[in-house]
Formats: sequence, structure tokens, C-alpha cells
Amino acid sequence: MTAALAGIRVLDVGGTIATGYCGKLFADHGAEVVDVEPPHGAATRALAPFNDRASAPDNSALHAYLSANKRSVSLDVRSPEGRGLFLALARNADVVLDASVGGDPLSLADLGAVAPRVVFSRVTWFGQNGPYAGFTGTDSVCHALIGMVRSIGPEEGPPLLPSGYQAQIVGGLTAYIGTLGHVIAAELGNRTAACQLDTSIYEANMCFTEVGAVGAFNTGVVAPRMGVNRFPPTFPLGIYPCRDGWIGVTALTPSQWASFCALLDLPDLAAVPAYQTTLGRLADAAVLEPIFKRKVAEQSAADLFHRGQSMRIPLALVPTMEQLFDVDQYVARGAFGTISHPLQGNMTAPLTPFKLYRTPALPGGVAPKFGADTRASLAAVGVDETAFERLCRANVVAEG
Amino acid sequence: MKPLHGVRVVDLSMGWAGPLAARHLVDMGAEVIKVESCERFDWWRGWEATEEWIALNAAEQSAAFNTVNRNKLDVTLDLTSADGSALLKRLVAIADVVVENYSSGVLPKLGLDYAALKEVNPQLVMLSMPAFGGSGPWSRYRAYGSTVEHASGLPHLSGEPDGPPTMVHVAYGDAVGGLNGAAALLTALRHRRRTGEGQYLDLSQSEGLFPLGIHGILHRSVTDHAPIRTGNRSDTCAPHGVYPASGDDQWVVIQVLTEEQWRALVETIVELRSFGGIADRLARRDELDRELSAWTRARPAREIMTQLQSVGVPAAAVHSMADLIDDPQLAARRFWQMLERAYVGTQPNPVAPYRVGEAPIPIDAPAPTLGQHNRRVLTELLGLTDPDLARLTQAGVIGDRPMMPRPE
Repeated sequence: MTAALAGIRVLDVGGTIATGYCGKLFADHGAEVVDVEPPHGAATRALAPFNDRASAPDNSALHAYLSANKRSVSLDVRSPEGRGLFLALARNADVVLDASVGGDPLSLADLGAVAPRVVFSRVTWFGQNGPYAGFTGTDSVCHALIGMVRSIGPEEGPPLLPSGYQAQIVGGLTAYIGTLGHVIAAELGNRTAACQLDTSIYEANMCFTEVGAVGAFNTGVVAPRMGVNRFPPTFPLGIYPCRDGWIGVTALTPSQWASFCALLDLPDLAAVPAYQTTLGRLADAAVLEPIFKRKVAEQSAADLFHRGQSMRIPLALVPTMEQLFDVDQYVARGAFGTISHPLQGNMTAPLTPFKLYRTPALPGGVAPKFGADTRASLAAVGVDETAFERLCRANVVAEG
Repeated sequence: MKPLHGVRVVDLSMGWAGPLAARHLVDMGAEVIKVESCERFDWWRGWEATEEWIALNAAEQSAAFNTVNRNKLDVTLDLTSADGSALLKRLVAIADVVVENYSSGVLPKLGLDYAALKEVNPQLVMLSMPAFGGSGPWSRYRAYGSTVEHASGLPHLSGEPDGPPTMVHVAYGDAVGGLNGAAALLTALRHRRRTGEGQYLDLSQSEGLFPLGIHGILHRSVTDHAPIRTGNRSDTCAPHGVYPASGDDQWVVIQVLTEEQWRALVETIVELRSFGGIADRLARRDELDRELSAWTRARPAREIMTQLQSVGVPAAAVHSMADLIDDPQLAARRFWQMLERAYVGTQPNPVAPYRVGEAPIPIDAPAPTLGQHNRRVLTELLGLTDPDLARLTQAGVIGDRPMMPRPE
């Protein structure tokens, strides 16, 4: 069995979550991916969560997750000598991932000279041009600008920020789509020259709100912030406490509403004409919600979930992080696997969320120690032991 | 030439996730043929059809439908009829890819599942995207984007420590499912190009959200405990949050992540100079937030963003969806392409989020109307004649106006 992306060569000089996740999808499907890190390590090595069993620069569990199945080469591409060595490593590469804005230190012309079909894939917060191009991006900055934050949270404010690295993961996933599309283009003969691909994490995350923006353009109407877990057009919708956990409720169509009322033994509500549309129910949410919330609170989450689903109501268990690895559906699907790191040991992490039945992604993998592959990779492009020691002393390369 | 020129996709999907996956392929130059029927039209055109709604042709006026289906061709085929089913198989026979996100059970009942379609096209790449995946005890359970978000556990990671698990207020699971779907299809297309082998792809939309919650999942992995929600604050940085700006319900995000950014902030806002290093700022967070709010409250959000960003402090105006069309960055990047669309007029269309060089990938056509390309697809690709089309129209297999669905 051959991996789907066997034979594709990727180098990542970006060192961000977005380039790291993009590269991870390549690596998990069999491409050869090399993290080319500066002498102090990629930026993602300084990001939480950390594993107390190891120390910097090898203690980030996040970096271990992102770098599984990759190699780590430490090389200062900003020094003239390091840049030359990088171009030697990049010979005939299919993809170079980068997270910088502007012409420094790598250029399409230089890369194209050594790798004629390369996709120089640059994944940045705002893209290569425009008034925000020099801004400092964060996940929350991105979520605020796309119009997603404003609608989350209590009516009186302040709006609530989603946590973590969600915008960057979406940026990396989107960059994978664009980058792989342009790799395939070369293989199909639709592209013959090296190209620079410019992915904006901001624009990638616009997929969540573009429909709302077009709606606002057409109608002038923007949905107001209505409270945590409450937003148009759907009601009931939300996450409610049961006696032993949390249940997620969505009832959109007239038949789902009727079934939801039947499930909770609320026939009077099912019969109200004004409640036959989602907007009609939403307008009366303050009356309706306490009624069904009381009913839900008496029940077991799992029982409600399975009974509701048997009546075709889209209910869901809402597992906590402590419950997640043991959810029967995810166990049955093998949704989680093990990533091991030479210093951190084993950790449970999600596997690639799409299954290719003929060419499955790798089930977990090994993350390299910082700089583990520097010596071997440079030897392969003609750097002998004496030269390697000199480069180490000059801080052009590092072995960790 | 666009990157995926020559790739043909039959898009049976409806709603948001599947059509968004196919949109990435069509934007990169694949030919995407969307298949609906007059009675079972894409439910994203509207899911509460009434006679009046049909008469007003509201099915053609959905911003949601029109935004995710640009560049595609649209045919109507009643797949419950023998003719419709046979024509779909003929289309699949000359396609590379099929995308579908019906509830599980629908395509097998129509005799159009992967097993059947593989018979007419052994090299087929076919993507199904059931909410919880095609295997396991929940495989037949139904879900929307919100359900998928619930089941991923992601809401436990956001919100106030004493509040409920907090969702984002868009159908997050759908859009992420669409991105994962496009990623899966391209991965399989690359294998097919190299080996000639097609395959079946199964995407669980709830599993698709796990990487977005990776901070919480890995925290659990390495500590055995769930992280505690922190609302808009951070355990390690201050100031960090959403602050009021001048005007009604106007807000700005400010996050000081490093001491260098803190020094830049204090130079801009001298009122904050009584606060010291990070330990002092974390200890006096309430006071710090009050002082900072007093400053932000007197200024417009975009002005604060520009001023603080100019000295390297992460800051952003909390946009409403109405602010996006004239956002200066999106305008400078020509992110919105204005296209004329029948029954609606001029519509902004968001370009693909990746581009080669400075210009966006051009959008060639707005979203199709129902059955707009019946003639083109059925005659040019399948060799049907005008009398064939007349007969199919007469029999109700094809058409170009929505009809009230028969009760389920």
C-alpha cells in the first residue's frame, strides 16, 4: 500500500501553527516534510500546552503534535551561508512553506532556480499586501475582524473570544488545500513554472462569516448578540445541563420541533401555531427555554441523546475533555492515536479527521527532537564533519 | 490555466459543508456539476418552503446558497425516477469525483451509493461526509453544524469559567467540514493521478473539529485534566480581552502578549504607567482593565486598532458582519468580487483565500439558478437531444422551477 502523497517533498521555514498544521497534513499522508528551524527553534516550540517531562526547546506538546512524522533541521536561513544550505536542501522540492511578509530571506526566483516546480506557499495572517499586512495577528484578532466574536456572549457585552489556536488551524488547513491543489496542477501539466501562493489566515477564516456579510449587504440586517449559545435563525439551539452531563440541542425543521416536544412530553408546545417556524420560536425563547430546560435537567444525557436521535432529532452529547477519549463513537472510529516524542513520551492526539480507505493517513507517529536531523540532512548535501562543526560554532546550524 | 483544469466533479451535496468543499475545487478550475431536483432542491435555498415562498422564487434569493455555489453548473435530476438515476450514473461515468452529504441511507435506497457508482466508474473518488462518520454506533445519527460542534467537545474550551460551554455563533462544524472535505478530495485526487486508483473517503465532521480544540485535547493528554475556561482573560498575559470603544455596542480586542508589547502600549497610553511587570499586571487585572477601558471608550474601534497595531500591539476592531464589505484590508485585496446574479442583482462574492501573485483567482460566474445548465450538461456531455429534453421535462425528471416537496 502506498501513501497518497508519497514522493512529495515539503520544507517548512515558517515555524508557525498554520504552516505546521499544513505541513502535518502533508506528512500524515506520506510526504517527506522537513521543519527547517532557526537555531533557537521554531516559534511553535514556545507554545502551550507544555509537557513537564521535558524542557525547552522540546517541551511543547503542541509542537510535538504538529511535528510528528517530520524531520527537524536547525538552520539559520537568514545568514548568507545558511541560506545557501537551505537552497541546497530545497533542490527539487515540491513545496516550501513560509510565514513571512515581503521578499526576505527567500524569494521565488531563488527557489525556482533550484526547484523548478516548487509552490512557494506563504501563509500569513493578512496576506502579502494591504493595509493590515504589517499587523500583528492573533487568533482573537482574526476572530474579531471576521465578525465572529461580536455575536458571541451576553447581550450587554463584552463579546466572548473563542479560545486557543482555532484561526491558525483553519489557516493551515486552508493552505493545505491551496498548496496541494497547486502541486497537483504541476503534476497534471496545468502549471509549468514555480509559483508563489499567498494564503491569508484572515481570508481563510472568512468562510465562517462570508454568508452573513453577503446577507447584511443584501438586507442591511445584522443579527444582534442575543446571549451565550443563542443566535438566529434556529431555536431551540444550545447546550443544556442534564443530571449527569451536557446535551446539545438543535431543532430546526417543523418535524424536529414536533419530535423534540414529544421527546420531552410537551404536547402543548408542539401545537402552538406560532412555534412552527424557527423564528417564531426564537421570538419567544425567553418563555420556551425555561420550560424545556427543566425537563432536560431531570434526564440522563446519554439516554436523552440516543432516544432523541432515534426520533431523528439532532441532539448531541457534549463531552468534556476528560470524557472525550472514551466516547464510544470516537473509540469505534479510532479517532485518536498516539504521538511519541523522545523526551516527552507518549501523548494521545486526534488523527487526521478524514479517512481515505485505500490510502489511510498515518495512525499517530514520532515527533523529532529539536535539530535531530540536522547533521544527516546536511551531510546529504555535501557538508562534511569539519564543515559541520564550523557551522555549529558559527551558530548557522544547531543539533539541539 | 487554472490548477485543476480537466478535473470533473459531480456534486450531490447540499447545505454548507459539501458545497464549500466543492467550491474549493471549482475555484481552482475543476468543472463542478451540482445535481438537485425541482422537488429536492438544495435545502440551503430554504428549508421552510411554502406555496408563497415557491411563487416568489425565493429559492433563488438565498445569500447562503448563492455564496457557496458560484462557478458551478446546475442540473436537476429526479433521482427517484429510473431516468434520473440512469442519467446520474452516466454523469458519474465521465467524472473523477463525487461529493455527497445526504443522510446515511438515502443513496443506498436510491441505488446510488459508492458500491453502485464504482460499478460505472472504477476509478471514482467519492466523498461522503456524515456528521459522525460512516462507521461506529452513531453513524446513522443526524446532525447540523451545531450538533457536530456540540459532539466535538469544543464548546467546553470557550466561555466564562462559571458559564456554560460556549459555542461560536455560526454553524462552525459545517464550514470546517467543508475545508476537511476539500483537503480529503485533493489528497485522494493526487493518489488517483499517480496510480489510477480511486477510493471512498469518509469524513466525520465532528472529528474534523478536534484539531481546532487541540489546545484543550493536548492539555488533557499531558495533565490528565481538562483546562479551566478563562473567558476573555489569559492566565499568563495582561491586559488581554475585549474592551469598549466609542459608539453603541462597539468593541476592540487588545492582547498584550510580551513585555515589549507592554512597553509599546504604555508609551501610547501614559495613563497605564503605574502598572509594572507581568506579575503586577496579573495581580491588578481588574484595575488595569478599568484604566484601559476608560481610554478605549473615548475612541473608535478601528482607530484604536490602527494606532496600537502601528506600535506592534495586537489589537482589532470587533467587526459586525456589515463591516466586512468595506473592511480596508479586504478592499485592498479585492476580496469581494461583485457579480450580477439573476433574481438578486449585484452580489458580493468572496474570492478564494489563496492566490498566486497579487490578483485573486477570478470568479467566472455567480451561483447557478436551479437547472440552469440542464441543456448544456445533458446535450454536450451526455449527448441527449432536444426531444429527449422535452420528454424528460414532461415526465418531471428535469425542470428549472422549485416545487413543493411531497411530505416525507
